[in-house]
Amino acid sequence: MNKMSKASQELDPISDMSIAQSSRRDFFRKAVVYSASAVAATSVLSPVKLNATDDPAIVEEAPWGVKLGEPITKNYYGMPSPYEHNNIRRGTPILASGDIYASITMCPIHEQEGIITPNGLFFNRCHGGVAEVDPNEYRLMIHGLVEKPLVLTLDELKRYPSESRIHFIECPANGGPEWRGPQFNKIQFTKGMMSQAEWTGVSLKVLLADVGVKPEAKWMLAEGSDNSEMGRTVPIEKVFDDAMVVWAQNGEALRPEQGYPVRLLLPGWEGNLQIKWLKRLEFSKEPFYAKEETAKYTVLTPSGKAIQHFYPLEVNSIITSPCPEKPWTDLKKGDLVEIQGLAWSGQGTIKAVDISFDGGKNWVEASLKGLVLPKAWTRFSYMYRYEGKPLLLSSRAVDDSGHIQPTIDQEIEAVGIEAVYHRNAICTWEVTKKGEVNNVHIRKS
Amino acid sequence: MFISENRRKTISIALVASVMLFTTASFAKEYIATEVIKNNSNPVFPANKEKGIDGGVVYKVKDNMYTVYAINNQEKKGFKYGRTPTKNEEKAWDVDVMPDGTGLPEGKGSVEQGDELYEEKCSMCHGEFGSGGKGSRSTYPTLSIGEASTDSLTNQRINPDVDGPKRVIGTYWPQASTLFWYIKTAMPFPHPKSLNNDEVYALVAYLLSVNDITIDGQELDDEYVLDRAKFLKIKMPNEDGFIPKIDGPKGAENIKKFLGNPKNYGNGTRCMKNCIDGEPNVVRIKKEIHKYEPPVSVVRDLPKEITSSKEVHPGQKIYETSCAVCHATDAMGAPNVGNKEAWAKKLEKGIDKVYENGIKGINAMPPKGGTSLSDEDFKKAVDYMIDNSK
Repeated sequence: MNKMSKASQELDPISDMSIAQSSRRDFFRKAVVYSASAVAATSVLSPVKLNATDDPAIVEEAPWGVKLGEPITKNYYGMPSPYEHNNIRRGTPILASGDIYASITMCPIHEQEGIITPNGLFFNRCHGGVAEVDPNEYRLMIHGLVEKPLVLTLDELKRYPSESRIHFIECPANGGPEWRGPQFNKIQFTKGMMSQAEWTGVSLKVLLADVGVKPEAKWMLAEGSDNSEMGRTVPIEKVFDDAMVVWAQNGEALRPEQGYPVRLLLPGWEGNLQIKWLKRLEFSKEPFYAKEETAKYTVLTPSGKAIQHFYPLEVNSIITSPCPEKPWTDLKKGDLVEIQGLAWSGQGTIKAVDISFDGGKNWVEASLKGLVLPKAWTRFSYMYRYEGKPLLLSSRAVDDSGHIQPTIDQEIEAVGIEAVYHRNAICTWEVTKKGEVNNVHIRKS
Repeated sequence: MFISENRRKTISIALVASVMLFTTASFAKEYIATEVIKNNSNPVFPANKEKGIDGGVVYKVKDNMYTVYAINNQEKKGFKYGRTPTKNEEKAWDVDVMPDGTGLPEGKGSVEQGDELYEEKCSMCHGEFGSGGKGSRSTYPTLSIGEASTDSLTNQRINPDVDGPKRVIGTYWPQASTLFWYIKTAMPFPHPKSLNNDEVYALVAYLLSVNDITIDGQELDDEYVLDRAKFLKIKMPNEDGFIPKIDGPKGAENIKKFLGNPKNYGNGTRCMKNCIDGEPNVVRIKKEIHKYEPPVSVVRDLPKEITSSKEVHPGQKIYETSCAVCHATDAMGAPNVGNKEAWAKKLEKGIDKVYENGIKGINAMPPKGGTSLSDEDFKKAVDYMIDNSK
């Protein structure tokens, strides 16, 4: 007799007993015609009787505790609890440029815990649908102004030494519907065009060392293999700073929505620069003028001139608790509650976050908590004694590059209201007397 | 426009003051210093940090650490993976077109040919003459406002009776090369890379013509034939409408200078006390948008409808990849899936007539919707649409 079968023998009587208990319980439940609590009260197996002030969830046996769970073989790739079915990405037809192929679904950041977004919840922006790439047919071409052009298969690419980095990716249109006033009363739709993951891949510096980029090369075209052949021009300085070619997110292969099998990662920069389903890197002397850096993703200012090649997402923050989806309606006066949220900057590391309770008149510095990483979501926290009074709750982030999150008026002074992209003004939640939370804007009187 | 002259002065004075404050402050003191700074303090980059092209911090590797990440600092060079692409392989993938004409192939096409192609392959989404999607397709991009004027670009919708800036090909796009490249590789939306070079020239000619753009002083009438030589003479009306200047040897430097100055895109002040005169002006949502898909809920319960292992319709996948772009909505008279009335009407003449019309093409629908589906697969997709519209 081997160890395995002995173990099984030991386990079996326990299972049998559980079943016996379970059916005995069923017998009682069927036999007694009183209310549910009466069943518990008469149950010989309950350690105590259910009294009026008792919680049946404690005193009564939980149904999942008196029967076998699902077999461990049920999901060979694990799934969230079915009770979490509302924690999902969502879209809105208003933000499509076309239909459900050139559009976006947003991350439920009101349910986000910590700083890593689960892969299935990472926001999903595509310009021609989610490409289904066969990894066996995958090729990456590096050419143009280089000494030795190169073609790699996926397996060859993954032979290069890897690094892992935690960075957010944000669509520069995040918050874009708000330029002319508040519109959505949901955090998922005002700030959900971003997510964060730990990305694994090879540093472009390493990948390009043997290719030999020529000194006259000033730009790199990164191009995807999807329906839209999404392309963007990247300056050489970023290529040799912290750019990466990545094949994994949060420990597993990239999801198709994130460019499976390979995407470009440009920490802190516009999401659409971080080309998904990456097929080609071409080096050149002059910029390429791709569609998504001319017709779109340019910031029109009141002078009529538009800012082009606006790479970094500027310092930003949002309070995620409370928020319209997660209000304070259950709080009582005097409750101690944590206010928390996310701060991030594509230009550096979060240095401080301030919170205001009166719409920006007075501010206090919140604590940062958890990992404080460059070009990454950073959590902030502030303990607050709830008074049941209306509040105007704002957050303001500061990064180590010297940038400070602007007020709505400060940002409009610089770029007007037709910018579409790169909106990073201070966000404010109005907390009503009942604890409901609404999206509002604070403007100059 | 928005910053008054007085305010500019205040800002620049405050900037000088804060420069003096910060250059002497250590990292820890910086926090204290910012606490006491009141309105109009402007950011200053700490002197010990190198600034990148994006106006942000450049972090360096130090003692085998990249910020908080430990790294392996052994030499990583001399890899022999992969191979050299053949010239033909490079040619196959290198189809981008640059403003100086690099990558622009030979070919030609007339405005009239472009008009026909546009009607057949583009108008169902982009509208007649590029006027934009209509009805349920209103989110499809507008390509033309009928004139090549950049005048509207200074418009700011500060009140309801002001029209917004018009960002279409003739009024906004800086380079025609983008148009050729994008159509060639990404259009038509459901069937990209299906147009040959002559067809792309024809479509570009048509789109320039409806945008009222001239080439070398010449208007683009129906007979106008665009070719490579003429293409290289196109000057887009908004060519100089973008900042900073990215071309030439100083391109990167210009960007660094521009992004290095946060005044160009807005920056805050770290005021802590009495930062607003009077009470804050609270602007609430005027007309809330409720179109969320799926509907918003934070309830933790069991899903009401557990998706059963319902048999997948044999035409569903074909429909999704080949037909949904037009038939998911009621664009250009294409009956949308779920529209019982419209499909019932189509079926009056019998299913074979519906197949036949679809295969041969009818009204705005090109033969087989412009796809290369087999008759058998095409019919499966039609069946799927009909079965889901009963």
